[in-house]
Amino acid sequence: MVLQGLWQALEGSALGQYIAASSWAFPTFETLHVIAIVTVVGSIAVMDLRLLGLASKETPVTAMSNDTLPWTWGAFCVAAVTGLLLFISKATTYIANPFFLSKMVLIFLAGVNMAVFHLLTWRSVGQWNSSPVTPRGAKLAGGLSLGFWVVVVFVARAIGFTLDKFSS
Amino acid sequence: MPSLGDLIFALGQWLRTTPLTELSLWIQKQPLSMLIDQNFWVIPIIQTIHILAIATTFGSVVMINLRIFQMAGRSRTMAQTTHRFLPWIWWGLLVLLITGIGMTVGEPVRELTNPCFWMKMVLIIVAASVSLWFQGSVRRNAPVWQLTSDGRLAMRTGAAGVILLWCVIMVLGRWIAYAPT
Repeated sequence: MVLQGLWQALEGSALGQYIAASSWAFPTFETLHVIAIVTVVGSIAVMDLRLLGLASKETPVTAMSNDTLPWTWGAFCVAAVTGLLLFISKATTYIANPFFLSKMVLIFLAGVNMAVFHLLTWRSVGQWNSSPVTPRGAKLAGGLSLGFWVVVVFVARAIGFTLDKFSS
Repeated sequence: MPSLGDLIFALGQWLRTTPLTELSLWIQKQPLSMLIDQNFWVIPIIQTIHILAIATTFGSVVMINLRIFQMAGRSRTMAQTTHRFLPWIWWGLLVLLITGIGMTVGEPVRELTNPCFWMKMVLIIVAASVSLWFQGSVRRNAPVWQLTSDGRLAMRTGAAGVILLWCVIMVLGRWIAYAPT
């Protein structure tokens, strides 16, 4: 495995060992991770459905973005920090798990989709901001985002069921 | 003074002396339960749908409550906001109920003799009742409440309470996996 020394060092760190041994730490960070992730997915879905032209059609797209994006990012930060804390408790096990690796790739792809949307499609938002019908680029971005996050939740849940299947 | 952990442990021990133990063992022997249990991916898939439904319901609760706190959705009225998000709360809850029953049928002992499971069930009934009542009062009083500071305080207290309640329900949901058995 790539960077094996790094994963072993993380797992062997005082914090990693503490989270792995403690009876409360892992479940507590995991619970915060779940609350953060449902907030991320819930708020992103509100925006995606607007981009797809399926809901909130009377709301300007820019207003919808302002209403949801700060909460999406705030919750995403909580999910990232708690996720990192969970990761270091069993770093070598997670890094060998294909569902964990798929989750990282899918989150990256969701980020790329968001970046492309903001750099390209968003430039013309003034023309369709208040229209219930959105352009093809916006529909594509909304649909991809929704799809990526649904699969992220599935592979994330699958990690917990397959931890002992791939560890050496 | 017993700790919360002691109380949860005692509740779990008492649950196992009730007929729920026999009931869950009986459910476990039914064909549907065995089908769910023997197919590795059924429980993870049901849990995934359950989590996506929480995202839908909780996300919608958050959007309505942010509107009450005037922290989001100010381009729309309170009525437009509830019209947009209320149906999603209740459809999400229906999916949660169905997938929850699926998980309980698949793993009856893990759920029905679990103290966190029953604490969660009680709080769901509380949260659903409070939400229904709160929905009704917001609908009736919103035009007045938005004009007086007392009314705004009442709405905001209710909104914060409902968010807190759903967070505690999610905590208990996750801790079903960690409850002492």
